Amino acid sequence: MTRRTGVFVCHCGTNIAATVDVKKVAAELGQDEGVVFSNDYVYMCSDPGQQSVINAIKDHDLDSVVISCCSPTLHEKTFRDTSAAGGMNPFQCEIANIREQCAWVHKDKAKATPKAIKITRAAVKRVRRNESLTPIGVPVTRKVMVIGGGIAGIQSALDLANAGFEVVLVEKQATIGGHMIQLSETFPTLDCSQCILSPKMVEVSKNPRITLMTSSEVKSVSGFVGNFKVKVHSKAPFVDPEKCKLCDDCTPVCPVVVPNEYDLNLTGRRAIFIPYAQAIPASYTLDEEACLGLNPVVCGKCKEVCEAGAIDYDVKPKVTEYEIGAIVAATGFDLYDKGYLAEYGRGKYPDVLDGLQFERLCSASGPTGGQVLRPSDQKEPKNVVFIQCSGSRDPENHCAYCSKICCMYTAKHATLYQHKVHDGQAYVFYIDIRSGGKGYEEFVQRSMERDEVIYLRGRVSKVYPSKGKLKVMGVDTLSGKNVEIDADMVVLAQAMVPSKGTAEAAKTLKIGRDKDGFLAEAHPKLRPVESVTGGIFLAGAAQGPKDIPETVCQASAAVSKVIQLLSKPELEHSPTVAKVRDSHCTGCEMCVDACPFEAITLVNGKAHVNEVLCEGCGTCAGTCVRAAIDVKNVTQLQIHEMISACMGG
Amino acid sequence: MAEAVEVRKVAQESGEFEPKIVAFLCKWCSSAGSDLAGVSRLQYPSNAVPITVPCSGSVSPIYILSAFNKGADGVLVSGCHPGDCHYLKGNFFARRRIYLVQKLLQFIGVEPNRFRMSWVSAAEGTKYAQVIADFVKDLKPLGPHGKLGAKR
Amino acid sequence: MVAIEDIRARARTLLESGEVRAVLGYQRGSAGTLAEPAFLTEPQQAASLVWDPTCIHNLALYLVNEKKRQRTQRSNDKRPLAVVAKGCDSRALVVLLQENHIDRSEVVILGVSCEGGGVIDPRKLTRALAGRAATTVAMDGADAIRVGTASGETTLPASELLADRCLECARAYPELYDTLYGDKAEGRSYSPRFAALNTVAEKPLDERRAYWNAHFERCIRCYACRAVCPMCYCDECVVDSTEFVVTPNTSADEKANRIRWIQRSPDASESAMYHLVRAMHLAGRCIDCAECERVCPVNIPVRLLNNVLEREALEAFEYVPGTDPGLPSLISSFRDGDPNDFVR
Repeated sequence: MTRRTGVFVCHCGTNIAATVDVKKVAAELGQDEGVVFSNDYVYMCSDPGQQSVINAIKDHDLDSVVISCCSPTLHEKTFRDTSAAGGMNPFQCEIANIREQCAWVHKDKAKATPKAIKITRAAVKRVRRNESLTPIGVPVTRKVMVIGGGIAGIQSALDLANAGFEVVLVEKQATIGGHMIQLSETFPTLDCSQCILSPKMVEVSKNPRITLMTSSEVKSVSGFVGNFKVKVHSKAPFVDPEKCKLCDDCTPVCPVVVPNEYDLNLTGRRAIFIPYAQAIPASYTLDEEACLGLNPVVCGKCKEVCEAGAIDYDVKPKVTEYEIGAIVAATGFDLYDKGYLAEYGRGKYPDVLDGLQFERLCSASGPTGGQVLRPSDQKEPKNVVFIQCSGSRDPENHCAYCSKICCMYTAKHATLYQHKVHDGQAYVFYIDIRSGGKGYEEFVQRSMERDEVIYLRGRVSKVYPSKGKLKVMGVDTLSGKNVEIDADMVVLAQAMVPSKGTAEAAKTLKIGRDKDGFLAEAHPKLRPVESVTGGIFLAGAAQGPKDIPETVCQASAAVSKVIQLLSKPELEHSPTVAKVRDSHCTGCEMCVDACPFEAITLVNGKAHVNEVLCEGCGTCAGTCVRAAIDVKNVTQLQIHEMISACMGG
Repeated sequence: MAEAVEVRKVAQESGEFEPKIVAFLCKWCSSAGSDLAGVSRLQYPSNAVPITVPCSGSVSPIYILSAFNKGADGVLVSGCHPGDCHYLKGNFFARRRIYLVQKLLQFIGVEPNRFRMSWVSAAEGTKYAQVIADFVKDLKPLGPHGKLGAKR
Repeated sequence: MVAIEDIRARARTLLESGEVRAVLGYQRGSAGTLAEPAFLTEPQQAASLVWDPTCIHNLALYLVNEKKRQRTQRSNDKRPLAVVAKGCDSRALVVLLQENHIDRSEVVILGVSCEGGGVIDPRKLTRALAGRAATTVAMDGADAIRVGTASGETTLPASELLADRCLECARAYPELYDTLYGDKAEGRSYSPRFAALNTVAEKPLDERRAYWNAHFERCIRCYACRAVCPMCYCDECVVDSTEFVVTPNTSADEKANRIRWIQRSPDASESAMYHLVRAMHLAGRCIDCAECERVCPVNIPVRLLNNVLEREALEAFEYVPGTDPGLPSLISSFRDGDPNDFVR
């Protein structure tokens, strides 16, 4: 096999040239078998640099090129496009990474240069055996699933529907709205959360392109980008939303009272209930776990009184399968569990609340109709202590990260409290105030100056009950003094953590999670709304703590990525997939068992690769004991020769 | 080969044995991690020549044995942490396979320090630099490997 | 007790009825004491079948070879083969089934239990008789072997004559069979499992290296170990650069670009590479019939290379080869709890 390979060594200014003798690399490689042209240039990725590659391809009739430069994650695409522009198959271009993996990590030119030569030679050996490939075209389903019905999911669903796509919105709870619907007012403008969210919720329910699946969960996802098959399990809808007239006759007769999760357990609800007045879908729901038994013999009171005949105990849960082109995961957050932070008495003393509970107390639709009252005795608290970073920024004991929104919502809570209780005093313990954002800093300053909230820079060591009050032991590090406050109420700005089902959802979706359990983005800077799995995108607090405007931004960003994906008639799938040598395959099925993507099946006793499902990981090739399967352009033969090149041969 | 002569010269000048290492790095985590080490300008010895493969799961035992047979003093296989594999579970297959290779090599008398597996994520540039530095440090006292089954 | 008459009768019936194409069993050897493999196609030949501790060969190999022969000759006879299978042979059949190399319908398994005994190691026998030729070899109870020579009969302890693998075998009965001859004797072993392996594995590293270097130096690369192995059924061996499979679909590029993982030169490193690759390729597949070691003309303890991985498979992954044809292979499966401490 005679190949005509060109080698192009980049100086990258002095980035490479300072530690690697680039001229020597080019000269040495020029001596190698099959290398008919080698050159070095100050910036290979610049326009003249690329042009020199194109010229060389034409002038020297090159059939393959190696660019010895920076990491292939940066300029592989550039130079493959350049090669194509020169009339070559782009897969005949390989990158030798002599910057990140060589020049930048060594100082001694005498050592870095031979290493750069080996790296480049390995790439030459590889490219000589490359096949010319064309991307595989894959048809696309133009339907999107959004998982999670909070503000991130609602925004995503609306944007997608308005762009003309069919959307399936899946929500675990009986209604969409998420945590945002529980909030009282939103910082920094203090507009009512329900008032701004409920129009969007209504829009979701009215949009003909959106299929709303509440009380539902995604149970399995198979397939691949553009062609997912998703199974959604829905709880049995014992109350038919079409028939339910919202008359509320059923709740008074229900004998069961359980804590109301919408009010963060500050109130109770019946087994049959409507989460809140604006719930979408607008219907009562029967909580199967709380209900005495879905059996007229046991109870059956709600069914008796329902004049609309909307209640049917015999409905069964159902499984719906959808064909989906892309998925937006917007599974949201929860507050850090109250089982932690025993030193603050969370979950032990009724008047130690978390931020969301305080939201309910401030909300006009909340348990107190918007009055701030202590849960223990329904009296108005006169001294309220807010503790920031409760569970956040504490790598030893709790979460290492900053939950980002607590500085702002605590300032909001303190402001709202001062507005509602004129003779009261709010204290805030903080580590730092992080108020980056439009109008945020001004809002915090206002709470301190106009609303006279007392900010104490320091941590609280302990909260305990004493003479009907809560004794808050803290320290003010600015004055260096210990502080003791007899508080009537303590509000903890609990850390934001991924919602309870996130781990399971990530597993189902086959996407990664970061060290804190949030859904992992493909690149922290450049691909912040994509997961590593093609066709699955991220929105909202499931990806990391963020406030409402940021969540809305991210949802719309994810949608733009989805639209980008689905706007083409066909998707391009990488052609570097596994290939079976029938002459060597014995049909032992080891590759079938090892393939992470179930892309291999046995056809007539030989392994057969579904190229669309194959991601080219090569686990099959690493498993096969008969060398009967290889990934195109990373074949065993290529690796064999690369090993020789690395050993200097 | 000229550079081989040069390497030998360098080794002679410093009077120290410079082990030759082949490092199989998975594209998504360990190779990206080595890129980060580069971006962070972390310094580590130049002994290891990387070969980027799609996934640690694609590293066939024959690659490792072949590297030793071609004269490598040490071989490293590095992949994504368990659970972080870009291809979901390729690294779990790799882990089992490489465990076996390692035991086999040790059984025939290859020093345990000559063959190593590591988990290096895309964010662990520092760890990659450390893994290479440690490997070189551990290989130096062992001296040249002189291929499989060769007399020293 | 295994009644050889029962096996003969069964073989005769199978051949008479035409149910099977042939019976693979053991017959008296034409040279020396050892039984040799028999390929019987006529009912009257059934009378020549024997069963004693010299029935060493793993007959699964002959099943594999016959399959290969049939394929090249394009034979249309789809009838199964009957195979006399010891414990280890039957486990080989299980692995072949697991890898779809054979179909269950292609084989009738006449399982024979070693009943706590086993087969002899011919080298041990020669040593015990100090070079005299044996004429008969038979188990005498479970712990002794009666050896007949021209100068009379002697009884020797079984532990002195049995092959190492039999001494260590805890499951000396067929795993899978259509008919079983003899009793399944559980947990009957003369030495602990992996005893032979441990004598080498427990040596210090330097000694181990010297030990193996000496053996790899001596390897003449005759590939007898590969030829005798029922698991080495690939048409082309990845380590071999001498025999290439060429089919009508083999491209010129493919012909030109064979990977030469191993050089043919009888260099210790190349030989080591061959043995290690072979061991890796048998990981989770080797059922320890030790035929490789028996046929080695230069006495390389090849079995131990397979044993070390067999032990790791058992201890680290709780994987025992040849137990269940439905299980995924050792290296095409994993568990979340696999050892991780060795990874940095």
